[in-house]
Amino acid sequence: MSERKRVQPRQLHAAPSPAGLVLDAQLHLLDRQMLDVDGVPVTTVDDIELSGPEPNEEIPEGTAPPQITALLTGPVLGTRIFGGRPPSSRLIRIPWKVVAGVDTVVTLGVRADSMDASWVERWLRNHVIARIPGGSHEP
Amino acid sequence: MKRLLGVALGILTAIGGFVDIGDLVTNAVVGSRFGMSLAWVVLVGVVGICLFANMSGRVAAVSGRATFEVIRERLGPRAGLANLGASFLINVMTVTAEIGGIALALQLASGVAYILWVPFALLAVWLVVWRVKFSIMENVTGLVGLSLVVFAVALFLLKPDWGALAGQAFSPSVPAQEGAGVYWYYAIALFGAAMTPYEVFFFSSGAVEERWKIKDLAQSRLNVLLGFPLGGLLSIAIAGCAAVVLLPAGISVTSLSQVALPVAQAGGQLALAVLILGVVAATFGAALETTLSSGYTLAQFFGWSWGKFRRPAQAARFHVSMIVVLLAGVAVLATGVDPILVTEYSVVFSAIALPLTYLPILIVANDPQYMGKHVNNRAVNIAGVIYLFVILVASLAAIPLMIATGAGA
Repeated sequence: MSERKRVQPRQLHAAPSPAGLVLDAQLHLLDRQMLDVDGVPVTTVDDIELSGPEPNEEIPEGTAPPQITALLTGPVLGTRIFGGRPPSSRLIRIPWKVVAGVDTVVTLGVRADSMDASWVERWLRNHVIARIPGGSHEP
Repeated sequence: MKRLLGVALGILTAIGGFVDIGDLVTNAVVGSRFGMSLAWVVLVGVVGICLFANMSGRVAAVSGRATFEVIRERLGPRAGLANLGASFLINVMTVTAEIGGIALALQLASGVAYILWVPFALLAVWLVVWRVKFSIMENVTGLVGLSLVVFAVALFLLKPDWGALAGQAFSPSVPAQEGAGVYWYYAIALFGAAMTPYEVFFFSSGAVEERWKIKDLAQSRLNVLLGFPLGGLLSIAIAGCAAVVLLPAGISVTSLSQVALPVAQAGGQLALAVLILGVVAATFGAALETTLSSGYTLAQFFGWSWGKFRRPAQAARFHVSMIVVLLAGVAVLATGVDPILVTEYSVVFSAIALPLTYLPILIVANDPQYMGKHVNNRAVNIAGVIYLFVILVASLAAIPLMIATGAGA
């Protein structure tokens, strides 16, 4: 066994400390419930959209690190389970700027009814549930 | 005083709500073939359901998250979807069995063929899901379901040889005329009937519906720890009645009227009337619970808004999916399939799917991010792991036993 001498570098650069809360996308974002500003469930975080370089693309020096641009929902869940990638035009996006907080749920700062993500809910409400007597009564 | 009433009400509804068509049929079948020699399985199942119902109730009260949200988050979308598929299928099967049970009980009361009662049962179940407040729904079906105590009364009126019954129960052995495979097949069925997974989905979602907080946990624990064991005792009484009357006569249970036979023999028409009332209430309550559970699981997996505390228009997908489930159940019954047969299969498939439900609850009940200082203590974890092992063995053995014994024939 050859003995190797450990060379200490002169100066260690500490990793840049992230400001605020550190989130693990896999652990703290994916598959979490999203609630709107009134606490009404909207959908779950089915996938996440990042800005920045595409896969297999060369990254030039000094490129800004990728950022979360939107939380995705809808059919994208199927591609996460079965593989593949939906065309960008088919993604239902919840822009990251409307996210108000991340805890055991992701809270949004807007109303569910104002979002594309809840169109199925609205369609079924207007075309099915609201037409059955008693559908909009307090329970 | 009001608090005491609340506790009493909770315990009574837990007893009445424990028994459903699965418990009724499986216990009667087991009693008529094996006497009391499988009573120990009910005991094992009751302890298990107490343990895990408590755990899921605690998760819901502390974190405000119901079981299926947690399942997807912890298992990821792929395993979560497989779990949803299995749980949902069993839920639909159980909805079918319970609606069939309501119709069979009404047939017993009226003489009109059960298939004609099915549309009425469907409509009644849907109306309650659609309009009735959660707490009223729970309390009424639970309290009326309590009239199934008539099984215990009937057992006393039959004046059985208590020593012989206790002997069968406390030193269980496979009866001479039955094979060991069949014995264990029915042990698994009985276990599945006692520990039905929908109970856990319903219990944890109900905790969210009724906005439980940490301070409500003591009362819910009391409801579970007293109500479920007494419900289990009722299950054993059903098996006991069958063991005293049907086993010596060599009658095998293939219909609801045979389940009722010992009660009618012991208490006459009055007892029979009370029994029918109890069966209708128990199956009706369970039909509500399973219908809601299928809506809960779907909505919680996909993140839809759900709950009976909202107007139906505020939970549109939740209500639409429950309507579809009810129609699917009725479509199955319309083929003329025997509801008793559906029941017998549904309890075995419940046993097969049990690990899918109970493992994620155990994981999350130990997660400090959700539970803070209310994570499981060591004793609960040891018991939980032991039960998970038992559940896993039962689940793995179920299908081979089903094939080997021809589903217990």
